Amino acid sequence: MTPAQALMEEAQPIHPPPTSFWRKYVFSIDHKMIAKQFLWAGLLFLLVGGLLAMLIRWQWAFPYRPVPVLGKLLFGGTGAIGPATYQQIFTTHGLVMIFFAVTPVLIGTFGNLLIPLMIGARDMAFPRLNMYSFWTFVLSQLLVLASFFTDLGSAGAGWTTYAPLSTNVGTPGMGQTLIVAAVFVTGASSTMGAVNYITTVIRLRAPGMTYMRLPLTIWGIWLTAILNALFIPVLGSAALLLLLDRNFGTQFFVAGASAVNGGGDPILWQHLFWIFGHPEVYIMILPAWGILGDVLSFFARKPHHWYRGTVWAMVLVTVLSAMVYGHHMFMTGMSPLLGEGFMLFTLLISIPSMVVVVNWVLTVWQGSLRYDTPMLFALGTVFVFGVGGLTGLFLGDISMDLYLHDTMFVVGHFHFTMAAASVMGAFTGIYFWFPKMFGRRLDERLGKAHFWFTFLGLTLVFGGQLLAGYAGQQRRLFDPFQYTFIQGLRGLNQWTSYFAFALFAGQFFFVVNFFKSVFGRRAAPAGANPWQVTTLEWTATSSPPPFHNFDRIPEVVRGPHEFSNPEVRRLTGRDFAGQAELLPGGGEPAMAAGKS
Amino acid sequence: MRRRRIFAAATVALARAASGAPAPESGFGLPRDASVDGARVDSLIHFTIAATTLMFVVVGAVLLVALVRHRRGHPAVHSHGSKASIGVALGFVGLVALAVDGYLFTHTIIDMRRFFWNFASAEERADTVRIEVQAHQWAWQARYPGPDGKFNTPDDAVTLNDVRVPVGAPVLIQLASVDVIHSFNLPHFRVKRDAVPGEITKLTFQAREVGEYEIACAQHCGPNHYKMRGVLTVLPPERYRDWLSTVVADARRAYDPEDAEARWGWEWRRE
Repeated sequence: MTPAQALMEEAQPIHPPPTSFWRKYVFSIDHKMIAKQFLWAGLLFLLVGGLLAMLIRWQWAFPYRPVPVLGKLLFGGTGAIGPATYQQIFTTHGLVMIFFAVTPVLIGTFGNLLIPLMIGARDMAFPRLNMYSFWTFVLSQLLVLASFFTDLGSAGAGWTTYAPLSTNVGTPGMGQTLIVAAVFVTGASSTMGAVNYITTVIRLRAPGMTYMRLPLTIWGIWLTAILNALFIPVLGSAALLLLLDRNFGTQFFVAGASAVNGGGDPILWQHLFWIFGHPEVYIMILPAWGILGDVLSFFARKPHHWYRGTVWAMVLVTVLSAMVYGHHMFMTGMSPLLGEGFMLFTLLISIPSMVVVVNWVLTVWQGSLRYDTPMLFALGTVFVFGVGGLTGLFLGDISMDLYLHDTMFVVGHFHFTMAAASVMGAFTGIYFWFPKMFGRRLDERLGKAHFWFTFLGLTLVFGGQLLAGYAGQQRRLFDPFQYTFIQGLRGLNQWTSYFAFALFAGQFFFVVNFFKSVFGRRAAPAGANPWQVTTLEWTATSSPPPFHNFDRIPEVVRGPHEFSNPEVRRLTGRDFAGQAELLPGGGEPAMAAGKS
Repeated sequence: MRRRRIFAAATVALARAASGAPAPESGFGLPRDASVDGARVDSLIHFTIAATTLMFVVVGAVLLVALVRHRRGHPAVHSHGSKASIGVALGFVGLVALAVDGYLFTHTIIDMRRFFWNFASAEERADTVRIEVQAHQWAWQARYPGPDGKFNTPDDAVTLNDVRVPVGAPVLIQLASVDVIHSFNLPHFRVKRDAVPGEITKLTFQAREVGEYEIACAQHCGPNHYKMRGVLTVLPPERYRDWLSTVVADARRAYDPEDAEARWGWEWRRE
């Protein structure tokens, strides 16, 4: 044991695992268990958000017609969706998906599971704070569920919650209040998580795990945590001001006829919301970028192309992400100079994003590709993120925004990035780390079927939205065909809905696969390193890892992507070298290449 | 039965032809452009479609070759990125940034300053039509200044969900909202602007083609947001004058000095 290792061992002694049911499965402080808790909570709400999406698609395909099966149960009467119900459906669809489904899966699950395992730590820096973070999150989910059972129903002001529509002027009723409170509470949960993640990465990296040897997944999650720590408090304060407006008669965001003595400023809400909201889209995509950077390299059996370039590009995106938010507000009547500045930064942020994508392609180029399910999902994510990124060029531009703003084109664009890329990135992670989490493998055949339904489904559904928006169909319309100039889009909307239903149905391949492998007796044990890759969670511990993760804290000697090195192959007969692996012969041939 | 249906369809078609209303559009692609400056937006959109498609095809082709040819049988090359490959990456990104981002930025700056957000030059022209539009849940009220050229006077013409403008003259609209945020969207003119409570925002355009077009609310404003639809009618100048004098005469007759609510207009805001 080196002195550095001894120091880290002293800082993180091995504790005995908990024995009681409550301490082990419910109020656990084990980061691996908390990761699983976030996974279950997130996937459950992914189902809720998905069902809400299906209702929206039904409405656009067959407005005024009763929803089959679920309609009478959910809405009573004939079972058709009414305009007031409809606005709650699309509002809660957005909020549930962003804050209560994708965030817990991408950040809660992978942040908790992977940070300690990939950097070589025994747990997070603040295990108890980690537990509080999860149970705070559960409280916020309960608030969301409760909002559906209030008198006037749930929130209806859109996921962006624009004031004054989101004040009592537009949406009186307990539902909207509960949802705003839920966003505040989930923000508190995310902030706790963020502080924990940031500290853990800074303080608990194993000896030798320099910043430039961190797996890209950790870079993505860490940068996300920094954005969360900086901007979630802004959202929290905005939510608090809105709660004051709703319940205590203040007027921060109320203006116009309902305001007394001049009132406040509705645009203030948009500034507060979007200075959080734009970093939020990077919060949701950076972990996926990181996962992709690693998984593409792993399954191409080739080092990541220009690791440093990708890292610095991701850092640059993080820095710029807060300086572009005004492009959501081009139509509010902002000063032209301000608009031009925001447009410039928006165009600039495309440059590091392109570096990341080009590095993915050059990582795969000249590799030796293995088409396992995680790789299929990773490649699919590259595709959908490409579409999402390129369509962003249209919307970052003020001229084109004059026509495209608030159309379905915007909806298609952000679904390609935030829904398709983030969700497929999350599935990449789930398929890849499932063996580490549960010690068993997922079925490859079901996984591939799930991939094709998901990939084609997402592409066709959101492609249909882009087409509809290009023709001028606006978003959030209960009956889009009120407008005669888009009468011709009925067929397109119906087809898009059919694809959406198929996409939803295809998710059952995953549900079956997941339950079979978690609970079934026949799922094959995974072994410590089923994918034959390099990072610490695969090469320095078992699947699933013991409570204390590592019997001995590893000493890292090389970067995360040491593949197909001829020296390593000569010495070990394998095409990869673990991050902490000492090669026979002791001379460190991989060190030179490993500096990446 | 069948004959009656054909007769009804023919009547509708005839009425439409007589009123000069456009037939429902096919739906796909950009809606018809009825404005003088809208072609600038369209050309940028077409440029961006071409540029992004090209980028997608180039990068996608490289990826596709790798996916097909560099499979399990192909030995992986051990490289963390060479000077040459990093050069290729940076060169590609730099080229795209200069060519595409640069083109978009310069063209948009020109478009916004000279046309879409150039309210000063519309303000200067003698033939400019000024309209105040007040949005509320869920309708558009429009106010024309009448012969005295001043808003909020007894000769103002006021309409609901019915805005008419002459062809070929600049139109300046000032927008307000009484309750929540709405957005005044004219898809056929490639302009939109939010109506924000407590503020006056502006919008300008110039119609090129006579006809009836839809005014859409683009910002979610409550359950009946989808019904917040108005009609913008572009008339030949003389028919516009006739129409305006009729509404002004009606408004004068209907004027009620006691009704303060009806005088929701504001003094025109100049730059």
